[in-house]
Amino acid sequence: MKAWLNFSPEIVNKAVISNLMKNFDVSFNIMNANITPKGGKMLIEISGEEAQEGINYLENQGVHLTPVKRVVKKDNDKCVDCGACLSLCPVEAITIDEEWKVELDDQKCIGCGFCTSSCPTKAIKLAD
Amino acid sequence: MKTIEEINQKIKDGNAVVVTAAEMTRIVRETGAKEAAKEVDVVTTGTFGAMCSSGAFLNFGHSDPPIKMAHTYINGVEAYSGLAAVDAYLGATQPHRDPKIGIKYGGAHLLEDLVRGKEVELVAEAYGTDCYPLQNIHTHFKLEDLNQAIMINPRNSYQNYAAATNSSEETLYTYLGTLLPKMGNVTYSSAGELSPLLNDPYFKTMGLGTRIFLCGAQGYILGEGTQHNTEVERENGVPVGSAGTLMLKGDLKKMDPEYLRGATMPEYGPTLYVGAGVPIPILNEEIAQHTGISDQDIGCRIMDYGVPRRSRPAILETNYHQLRSGSVEIDGTKIQTSPMSSYRKALQVAEELKNWIEKGEFFLTRPVELIPSHGQTVKPLQIKRPSILVKDLKTKAIITATAQDNLSDVARLMVDNNINHLPVIDKEGKLMGIVTSWDIAQAVAKEVQELTHIMTKKVIVAMEDEPVEVIARRIDKYEISGVPIVDRDNLVKGMITAEDLSRLVCSRDDKRGESL
Repeated sequence: MKAWLNFSPEIVNKAVISNLMKNFDVSFNIMNANITPKGGKMLIEISGEEAQEGINYLENQGVHLTPVKRVVKKDNDKCVDCGACLSLCPVEAITIDEEWKVELDDQKCIGCGFCTSSCPTKAIKLAD
Repeated sequence: MKTIEEINQKIKDGNAVVVTAAEMTRIVRETGAKEAAKEVDVVTTGTFGAMCSSGAFLNFGHSDPPIKMAHTYINGVEAYSGLAAVDAYLGATQPHRDPKIGIKYGGAHLLEDLVRGKEVELVAEAYGTDCYPLQNIHTHFKLEDLNQAIMINPRNSYQNYAAATNSSEETLYTYLGTLLPKMGNVTYSSAGELSPLLNDPYFKTMGLGTRIFLCGAQGYILGEGTQHNTEVERENGVPVGSAGTLMLKGDLKKMDPEYLRGATMPEYGPTLYVGAGVPIPILNEEIAQHTGISDQDIGCRIMDYGVPRRSRPAILETNYHQLRSGSVEIDGTKIQTSPMSSYRKALQVAEELKNWIEKGEFFLTRPVELIPSHGQTVKPLQIKRPSILVKDLKTKAIITATAQDNLSDVARLMVDNNINHLPVIDKEGKLMGIVTSWDIAQAVAKEVQELTHIMTKKVIVAMEDEPVEVIARRIDKYEISGVPIVDRDNLVKGMITAEDLSRLVCSRDDKRGESL
């Protein structure tokens, strides 16, 4: 599953992620992270035998977890399919289909925000 | 050979054969131009791209008491009103007057809001005359309330255009979109084989009075656009770079927001996405042959926008078939491409125009005067007082430090020479880093001994052949106070500081004073 992990200032110094990796059989992918002494958040993808136990561990350590169904959302009324975003996506999550319509693959998206800040019609937004 | 009158009769009778430029490419390929010329009567083209040189003349009508508007703001966007009392020209790229909004809402967004029928705020100021006594006005209006709202776009539908990449170390924000550093991406903007002027590359059918599709309404070509250029390099009969342009006219009141959108190129400015389509009458085999052009046949050069000068170096010559595939290869690396103009919308424009003609709602016109096909060039603007280059500046003798120097020597060097910046060089004289007096103060406070630990290693530099204006902008952009000057081999040639630049501005102004 994909989720945002929210770190409060109290726990930013704890080694929660490395303990998670050491103690649970999970595979864990950090797609985006912005954590400062004032707290922050991290977009992760977690899977494996003990994914649920791992998630429980994170919650117990005070990491607030919000599952993500969608990382970004595109307003199709605003989008003119110009394709400005295509070459900015570092993970090739944005493609143009056979009818020349711009499509976002939310599974691949890492929420970097390059497309949202560069969209001429402000049609793409990070989903909360 | 056919005539426009014969084609119009067929349109009236409902039996004209109309195809889009994309369909025509296939027809010419399969049957040849001769057969295609017999079969097809009209080819519809289409484009939907960011066209900055767009705008509209608005007439507000007279208030009571009347006003002669001198400064006019609509939703906070200034429209030029140095015209008769209540006329104004609203340009697409005009930013909002409030710097906090700025380029986020400009003329282009306002044009879209008007076309969507939204109510907008009008504020105007005037100096007051005997016949126009009112000095201020504040009211609201909708597009339907205006007497006229006539779109006049001085330069639309570029025949072709360069593609862009960026070899520099920093992200660039341009009219061709966001360009990632180190050639991280390529952007381009042309409808290729669908594009109006690429289907009539020698302007055999288009000119003043040609009826067209403009933003969902019927509009007209007024003639060649600004910067129209006929003396260009061609391949397969079509220009490989920017060439011909069109000046277009249409009625804003009849337009459809589906084909007109306000947009903002990030960190660049507002621009208007304009949907335009020109019908091409297939009068003969030559015209049919031209409309058969394919993306594969249309060349395009990828230019390096990392060089902030008028002449940018070409990195690669490619074509629209390759660009549209999603990536190009430069020096063995696959680089993703972005179209910037919407091919889907361009197709929609060409299909809609085809639909109008097939339904007998749109008839072709014979232009009063064709677009000039030769003898037009684009002259550059000469700056009478030429740019001063970095190498022309009188800078102080080069003072540098080496990585092995100890901190107190470095500090003394700065004090003795009354300088705040010191480039650090290696044995060959190449730039390794830079230290400032602030870095030295930090080192003393933190008891650091090594120069290499405190110097800034990622140094913003000036090249010798760059104009000083470019350096001034760089110093401002990075909020720094000076940059080392280096040559192509990264050898340090000197130092240029904000003080040097301000001194230069002062001395220029002095000289101007003397000559008066």
